[in-house]
Amino acid sequence: MDRADYPGVDTKTTAFDRAGLSDEQLITILRTMVMQRTLENRGFQLNRQGKIPFASASEGHEAVQAGAAVAFARGKDVLVPYYRDLGLALGIGLTPFEVLLSLFARAADHSGGRQFPHHYASKTLGLYTISSILTAQVPHAVGAAYAMKYRKETGRAVLVTFGEGATSEGEWHESLNFAAVHALPVVFLCENNEWAISTPVHQQMANVNVYERAAGYGMPGVPVNGMDPIDCYRAVKDALDRARSGGGPSLVEAKCYRFLSHTTDDDDRTYRSHDEVAERRKEDPVPNFERRLIEQRVITAQDAEGLKRSVLAEANEATDRAEAMPYPAATELYARVYADDWQPWR
Amino acid sequence: MAKTDTKAKALERHGLTDEQLRKIFRNMLLQRQLDNRGFQLNRQGKVPFALGSEGHEALQAGAAMAFERGKDILAPYYRDLGLALGIGLTPYEILLSLFARAADHNGGRQFPNHYSSKAAGLMSFSSILAAHIPHAVGSAYAMKYRREAGRAVLVTCGDGTTSEGEWHESMNFAAIHKLPLVMLVENNEWAISTPLDRQMAQPEIWKRAKGYGMPGLRFNGYDPLETYGAVKEALDRARSGGGPSLIEGMCYRYLAHSTDDNDMTYRTKEVVAEHRKKDPVPNFERVLVDAGVMSDKDVEAMKKDVLRETNEATDKAESMPYPQTSDLYTHVYEGAWQPWQ
Repeated sequence: MDRADYPGVDTKTTAFDRAGLSDEQLITILRTMVMQRTLENRGFQLNRQGKIPFASASEGHEAVQAGAAVAFARGKDVLVPYYRDLGLALGIGLTPFEVLLSLFARAADHSGGRQFPHHYASKTLGLYTISSILTAQVPHAVGAAYAMKYRKETGRAVLVTFGEGATSEGEWHESLNFAAVHALPVVFLCENNEWAISTPVHQQMANVNVYERAAGYGMPGVPVNGMDPIDCYRAVKDALDRARSGGGPSLVEAKCYRFLSHTTDDDDRTYRSHDEVAERRKEDPVPNFERRLIEQRVITAQDAEGLKRSVLAEANEATDRAEAMPYPAATELYARVYADDWQPWR
Repeated sequence: MAKTDTKAKALERHGLTDEQLRKIFRNMLLQRQLDNRGFQLNRQGKVPFALGSEGHEALQAGAAMAFERGKDILAPYYRDLGLALGIGLTPYEILLSLFARAADHNGGRQFPNHYSSKAAGLMSFSSILAAHIPHAVGSAYAMKYRREAGRAVLVTCGDGTTSEGEWHESMNFAAIHKLPLVMLVENNEWAISTPLDRQMAQPEIWKRAKGYGMPGLRFNGYDPLETYGAVKEALDRARSGGGPSLIEGMCYRYLAHSTDDNDMTYRTKEVVAEHRKKDPVPNFERVLVDAGVMSDKDVEAMKKDVLRETNEATDKAESMPYPQTSDLYTHVYEGAWQPWQ
């Protein structure tokens, strides 16, 4: 897959705008996307097999998440995601094994098997623990950005994500206004997939362009094609760079689509037609980006097949390994609830 | 006051008659008089609290003229003395509220300056910022749901309230459902002690309208006629199925936030004095005199009449009884039922 494998191919002369990304980074993005899709389906499979209680679905968000994750500076930035951000978690370094520990709710999980499935957290990666409560994470993210500014920690920023439904919450508004007033280092990334569980976007807002709200707060608003990981990378990178260098917050809106039901507990056929979903599948970012990398000779078709096989092997291995791990012990029930060994009823 | 050429002034009266123009002016005079009366009575130890709307006179008197009593609903905030007067509340009713007397619409139970009147279509309001905005949106939703065409809700707030989550949720909901609502922001540049530039990074509130998918407009709130034109247009649109609007009138708060606030701890006399140059009350007086709508003599007579009415209302309200102790639980539980008996 190294450029040297393709002597005579000059990628510089092609119209491919790679936003400064190296071949290696482009391949990393594709691998994240393929891994995301594989693990996503694995979650649904394990749920239907009765092995895990629940999984949420990010199919259709692969491009925006894999692209945004490459713009994240691990060790400096903080990621405050929502519950549909498998690709962002993978992209900033969470392993498939860690994701599966979360799904299986095993003791070795970062939350000790206490959190909802797909609600990861990792202190080493700068990944905030996730709330299922819509928009609850946005004031937290703004608070983290306020701390960075207060402590004069330049070169750092917070990336916070949410769906378009979350933008109707009062906390969202309060957070954006506060971030703008104090010029905080935070990037608000809206993953607009057109569905808030069963509410279509036109019943969620009269103006379906979330980014147009940015002007009202006095911050830049940037729309991007959420089906294109390079566009997403560029927009999030620009916004993060601006935030890191004291330029204040931005609102980036990535237009994507939710291909699966909201979660394993939802049947989307009760509120949208399969025809609509099939139509939108034509924009599926995973095969599209694979095709693009092959056309641009960043990889060969053979490489792509190899990558998929390797991803599947890793997902399988992680599944088996996580499943084999023990549940939290019943004696651990109150660990990390009260300080030390103290229990209020004793 | 020297008479200038009225024709050359070309008064933009937005279709208002001379009588309506005088009514607006009288409202402004009355508003200022009652505002000061509230502060005086508080300093005399006769009323516990009063709020000051000085600087908002033009905005409120102009907006009130666009309100259709018997059809529209007004959901005001606590700095809307002029709106309440403009849609028909009497100085006596205002003073009953200030004195917290039994004959007050709320039986003397509400905060001073927190009026309500079912007959006037004036919703009882909350001191909690933005709490009334979802209520207003709910009323507008009811109008739409019941297909009551030709009606609208006028809801007001200050600039500080626009930072509340409820404000955002209300705007979004009203826009989605194309509700008959006019959100009128009275931007007086101060949220108690917080100046506008610490309340929002982009100070033009009307510009948020586009994000919600509704029309937005900013107007000069020191000019009652421009205000009337803006509010009328938005209310007409709402009444005819055109959905909500976000309109923003620029004004200034000349007094402290309330009788319990000392604004000299957070702003200077010089800043206030600078804004006093734009004082809408003497300015509109000049406009009407210049346009020949009133003579100087008419103005003096009106001022005397307003003072007389205020004095009479003060004396009458003050002489009224407080609510009886035995009425303490009236309007709290249904009938005579009291849970501890």
